Amino acid sequence: MSNILAKAEPYLFLTPAFAILLIFLIFPLFWNIYISFHNVSFITILKNWEYSGWTNFVDLFNDPNFYTSLKTTVLFVAGSVALQFTIGMLMAVLLNQKVRAAGILRAIFIIPWTISAVIAAFSFKFIFDYNFGILNYIFQQIGLQPVGWLSDPNIVIWSLVIANMWYGTPFTLLFITAGLLSINPSIYEAAVIDGATKFRSFLHITLPLLKPFIVINLILITMWSVNFFDLQLVMTGGGPLFASTTASLYMYRQAFEFGLLSRGAAAGLILIIINISVAFVYLKLLKR
Amino acid sequence: MNMNKKVTFTALFLIISLIFTMTSGFVFPVSAQKKQVTLTAIVAEPKDRWDLLINTALQKLKQKHPDLDIKIDYRVLPYDATRTQILTAMAGKTPIDLISADQIWLGEFAQGGFLTDLSDRAKTWGRQSDWYQTNWDGGKYNGKVYGIWAWTDTRSMWYWKDLLNKAGVNPESLQTWDGYLAGSKALSNALKGQGIQSMHLVGASHSPDMWYPYLWMLGGEILKQKSGHPTKGTYWYPAFNSTQGVKALGFLKQQVDAGIKPQVNHFWGQEFADRKFAVMLEGSWLLGTFPRDQWPTINQKVGMLPVFPTPDKNTKSTTMMGGWILSIPQTSQNKDLAWELLTTMVDPGVLTPMLQKEGYLPTQKPIGEGPYASKLNASIPYYKEMVSMIQTAHSRPNIPEYPQIADNIKQAIDEVYYGMKDPKQALNDAAAKSAKALGW
Repeated sequence: MSNILAKAEPYLFLTPAFAILLIFLIFPLFWNIYISFHNVSFITILKNWEYSGWTNFVDLFNDPNFYTSLKTTVLFVAGSVALQFTIGMLMAVLLNQKVRAAGILRAIFIIPWTISAVIAAFSFKFIFDYNFGILNYIFQQIGLQPVGWLSDPNIVIWSLVIANMWYGTPFTLLFITAGLLSINPSIYEAAVIDGATKFRSFLHITLPLLKPFIVINLILITMWSVNFFDLQLVMTGGGPLFASTTASLYMYRQAFEFGLLSRGAAAGLILIIINISVAFVYLKLLKR
Repeated sequence: MNMNKKVTFTALFLIISLIFTMTSGFVFPVSAQKKQVTLTAIVAEPKDRWDLLINTALQKLKQKHPDLDIKIDYRVLPYDATRTQILTAMAGKTPIDLISADQIWLGEFAQGGFLTDLSDRAKTWGRQSDWYQTNWDGGKYNGKVYGIWAWTDTRSMWYWKDLLNKAGVNPESLQTWDGYLAGSKALSNALKGQGIQSMHLVGASHSPDMWYPYLWMLGGEILKQKSGHPTKGTYWYPAFNSTQGVKALGFLKQQVDAGIKPQVNHFWGQEFADRKFAVMLEGSWLLGTFPRDQWPTINQKVGMLPVFPTPDKNTKSTTMMGGWILSIPQTSQNKDLAWELLTTMVDPGVLTPMLQKEGYLPTQKPIGEGPYASKLNASIPYYKEMVSMIQTAHSRPNIPEYPQIADNIKQAIDEVYYGMKDPKQALNDAAAKSAKALGW
């Protein structure tokens, strides 16, 4: 009896965590899959849900706006991840040198990440506004023409990328700083004795030791950028001409603006597949 | 004071308190026996209007029901959150007694089975003839009354008198399409380098709302009934891509070609109050962007024409009406009392002070034209002109598919704004997508 209990003990300890996982992660996922194969909308939610097979997915792939949203997502995610990672990494490395008040500077740089995304979005909406925005005001003061930051379909996505860079970079700064602090300083001291320059130390010591942090950071900021829609929703509503409608915003609008819950769920599933694929690629890279 | 005295004093105090408590229950038996009722409501921002309206209505309701201890627990939510919250609450069968619904949401809510059919109550109530026909019809879906349209707004043309003077533009000339475009040119030249644009052109998500008046004034429609629907027999079919629609969208294109820039951000009249634009077609709420103490003299600075520009002088202008409908959800557990609250809230004596304070327009003739009108006319600038538009104003379809149709029209407008398609092609494409959304 005691033997059985001893064997069961680890599983008993795991039960609360597993229960939470089941209720808040696995059940909603399967519920989402179930909805995506039925005809659920705001007007049928209290009625019988008819099985609709692959209709919602077919409708999705027949909608040209969905493809536009996928293309927009690629631009938004690539731009955001590249800028967030490069700037965050650079700042983390610089602040890891013997900089005065590095702690205070780190605390200041983290402020954007502590702000609600909606508030950040409203701030940038005003910064980029064609008539009221501070950017165009500065442009006009120095004799330049105002720019349609949010009204030009070719520019709008980059305005969103800038806003997302401001909002998301502090996470990379924080995460990479944690990685840098975990590296034993004696390794650098040994490298200096061996005649290594700072750049070579960074290339051959810092980067390889930071690799797990970098990969996890990339996975997280990529997934967050794929799923992020607060900025787009508040700053542009997805316009003009769907030029700022990312797949996550497309999903939200289908489900909650048009009331097509099943089509929104189908779009959500595709987003999950994108996220899993990206994570898989990053993890493969980590194992190399 | 020794210990014994302390104990005696405390015991005496407790006994007296006990007797007082018992007798007070005996002396005021009515208050103790009052049945408590809490009505719950979800309404949309701004909060001030509901504070005034609900509190006044609550006092009236309490007077009518001295036997009840009535409380109203109302949640005021931002516009966008209101629809989702109402839908979530009703889908989850949360008991709610009253909601404020935008006129365009009614069909979706009714079709989903979320709203109580108020037809019989409304008939017994007998006030239907007090409403402007369009406003009464706006509360109906499939022939049944699901809500009472409480107040409305109309869109009209606002302009800064000094800026038009400076550019030598006669405001009356802005009433025709040609005059409007010529006025824009003159204003642009006169205001160059001052950070003020001539005319405001909406490029935000609600841009269809500002296009519909041109469609309607030409005799066009957004949707029309058509037979042969695969599942519904006769159902709505897109009609906005008619010749009238193409001509109406052509006028927006002409504005863009004339150098008027579509504005993707919308500040609901604040941009006009801040003198960023000389002329703006905007809702009656624009007045609210000016401080209340400026209202008595505002007509010296700001002019208003109760029109949308027309293709020629012979065409009758029209406008679009929005506003809020009060409805009782199916989940209400106090439907009778909720109906009493609703009817009290729209009682002219209760509603008028709120309209007066907020500058909203009435949906009822007794307020728009009757004894209450003089009160509103004296305090709301251009009230008479704005009310005059209600009779000829149109409202948007309130069918469940409308959000998708509006989004398709918005895309068509954007495609024309950005020169990707001509109006005919853009509207035909939007109509094809809308037909699919309508199940054709």
